[in-house]
This record gives sequence, C-alpha cells and structure tokens, in this order.
Amino acid sequence: MSFIEVRNLKKSFGPLEVLKDLTFNVEKNDVLAIIGPSGSGKSTMLRSLIQLEEVEGGSIAVDGDHLVKDGFYAKPADSKKIIAKMGMVFQQFNLFPHLTVKQNLELAPKLVKKEQAKEYSDRSIELLEKVGLADKRDEFPSRLSGGQKQRVAIARALMMNPDILLFDEPTSALDPQLTKEVLQVMKKLAEEHMTMIVVTHEMEFASNVANRVIFMDKGLIVEEGNPQEVLKSPKELRTKQFLNY
Amino acid sequence: MNFDYFMSMLIPMLEGVKATVLLFVLAIVLSIPLGFMLTLAVRSSMKPISFLAQTYIYIMRGTPLLLQLLFFVFGLPLLPVIGEFLVLDRFVAATLAFILNYAAYFAEIFRGGLLSIDKGQYEASQVLGLSKWQTTTRVILPQMFRVTLPPIANESVSLVKDTALLYAVAVPELLHYAQTVVNRDFTIIPFFIAAGIYLLIAFALTIVFKYLERKLQYD
Repeated sequence: MSFIEVRNLKKSFGPLEVLKDLTFNVEKNDVLAIIGPSGSGKSTMLRSLIQLEEVEGGSIAVDGDHLVKDGFYAKPADSKKIIAKMGMVFQQFNLFPHLTVKQNLELAPKLVKKEQAKEYSDRSIELLEKVGLADKRDEFPSRLSGGQKQRVAIARALMMNPDILLFDEPTSALDPQLTKEVLQVMKKLAEEHMTMIVVTHEMEFASNVANRVIFMDKGLIVEEGNPQEVLKSPKELRTKQFLNY
Repeated sequence: MNFDYFMSMLIPMLEGVKATVLLFVLAIVLSIPLGFMLTLAVRSSMKPISFLAQTYIYIMRGTPLLLQLLFFVFGLPLLPVIGEFLVLDRFVAATLAFILNYAAYFAEIFRGGLLSIDKGQYEASQVLGLSKWQTTTRVILPQMFRVTLPPIANESVSLVKDTALLYAVAVPELLHYAQTVVNRDFTIIPFFIAAGIYLLIAFALTIVFKYLERKLQYD
C-alpha cells in the first residue's frame, strides 16, 4: 500500500475538464515533483489532495484512509483527520498578517491540537532555527522578504507534524536569489526524508532533489518516472516540447 | 459676560450632553454587532436570508434618517392593530431608529472589510485544521476590524452629529437646550458652546480611534 493512492481523479470547472482520470501513487519518503505548462491542472490536482478543491470522480486515499472514494467524500470528522496528516505551502505564502512570525506558527497547535504553551513555544523556536529565522520571531510578516515569508510558511506547516508536505509553486512569486534560500530549506527537508509533493517550475530542483517526476498536460499525466528518465530523456513528444528538446 | 452667567447657560446644556452621549453610546454599542450580523446574513448561502438582509439595508440607507426617526417616534403607535402596543418612550424609540439605521451602514462597511481579505487566509486556516469559528474569530475578524477602523471612525463622528436630529422629535438633547437658552436670553452664544461640545466629543473619538489604529498596526 502506498502512502497516497490516487485513482481516476476527475474534476471540471463548468465545461472545462481540468483533471481527466488521474492515477498515481506517492510512497513514504518520496519527493515527487509535478511539472507541466500553466493550466495543465497541476495545482488543482495538488489542492484536491487536501480538499481545497472538490473532485467529481475518482478516489484519494491517504495512509489507507479514503478522503474520497469513487467521488464520494468521507464524513467531515473523518476527512479532518485525513487532512491533518498533510501540510500545505502556498505560492502566495498566506501568512496571517496580523500575527507575528512566532504567533503564525503557534496558532494552529494552540487552537487545533490544544497543546501546552511550553510545547508549541519550544517547537516554534526550534523550527524557526531550522529555517534560519529565529531572529525574526517577533516581526510581523509585512517586515519580511518573500523568501523569508515562504520559509515561515514552511515552518508553520511543519508545526502540525504532517506526514507529507504539499507545495504549490512555492517559489513562483520569488526572484532567483530568494528562490534559492527556499529551495535550500526544501532540500534539507528532503534529506531528512520528509515526504513531499512539489508543483514547480524549478527544473533544477526537480532533477536534483526529487526522486520522481510527473509531467502533466491538459489534465492528464503524460509521463512519469525518475528525474533522469523524464527530464533528461523524455519519451513523449509533449514532454520534449515542454522541456525544449 | 461674567462666569456665573456663562455657567447658567452651560449647566442646563450639560443636561442635554447626557442625552446626546447616552444615545451615541447605545447606538454605537448596539449597531456595530447588529451590523456585523447583517453582513453575515447578506453573505449567507440561504437565499431568502440574504435577500431580506439586502432589502433591509437598501431601505435603511435609501430613506432619510429623519423620516425613520419620525416613523419610530410618532408613526409606530399609529399602526393599525399593533400600534397600541408600540407606544414607546420617545428616547427609546429614537434610539431604536438610530441603531437600526446605523447597523445598515456598518453592515456595508464590514462587507467591504471582508471583501478585502484574501481567500488564501481562509485556505491557510483550513489546511491547518482551524474550525470555521476559529477561522472567523482568530484570523478573519482581527484583519477585518483593522481594515474597517477608519470608516467606522467616520461613521462614529457622523453619529455624534446626527444625535442632533433628536431635536426634531422633541427629545431634549444638547441642541435642544442650546436653542432654549438662545430663545430665553436672545443670544447666540449657546450655539457656539454647543458647537464646542460637539467638537470636543468628535475630538475625543478621533483620539480613541487613532489609538486603536496604532494598537492594531501590523504593517
């Protein structure tokens, strides 16, 4: 049994079919990069996994529990537990602007997990050190650079101890310098065997850090395999075109 | 003009200030939460509730406050059948009109505030596992409140001045007492005193709101 099993996922926005019968697995400790042109359905697919989008057909199982089975969603109480195993990092960071960095990290452990103050306070400092931002703990997000914001967002997701992290184009809003500092943090997580799915346009990250790559186009998985296969010697014409071969 | 004479004008006017301030406080304290509930009703996914709330706001904003005041103070008791149960104290009836009118304006202010909040804030809350209630109270409302403070301050200052409309329904307040002294002594000084008092209240409000804005600053 794979950690995440996706079967025949289907979704439309009105008449537009954005996901057409997607099937794939994610194993524990995988770093899966999803690449493809804009509008290929990558982000929608990722957002479906954590129920930010509702699908119309197919199944999603996480750690053996079905979030959706043949288009039918689990009861809210069950889906809440399934979603709690996942963390998400957004392109636009989505930090809470009215809370300091440290408060951003601590809000969910405090409210959702009802942790003791010492517990979440210790862990937030530890995670901020990990992403190199312990000195910014009392700043508001508006005082941070984009790269710093994204690193805070990663730390915030880690606060909930997820089994898998989903990244939705985490560096697309950043310049190359800031992209680098975010990718470094993600690489460190990969080295610590964090399971990750990363929707990205960073081919270097896909080839150096990911152990699997999926190329999507027009709501379909066109090609998948290890980075060597998909990025260095793609078989499908559309993959070749996208990668400029 | 000696000090004693000045005080003989001021002291009855202070009686009026009490009514003015009481009306202001009641109206602001009750119309803000009512306005927020109206916003939620407008945004409700239940169509009839949303429609009713929108109609309510349309009527309250689209007709003069003075007309609404006259209706609540003199009109309600004239309604057929239920009128006899609606004979309220004039001050109470007028306060009710103010609350219901200002709630409509606050509802629109809050609606604007909610529109200004990025949907990413809801999504981030959702993936972190926050409940709807936690998202609203811990993430959305604090941001909405910060955004809506300046227009709320604006409405508050309007409300202070609108309390003078009580004059038209014969509820004694600041302006009423000023006018009385003007008539009694044939001097316009009480008008200046009244203006000074309104300005003082507005000034105090400005200070309070500036303080709140600084306190809630996060950018």
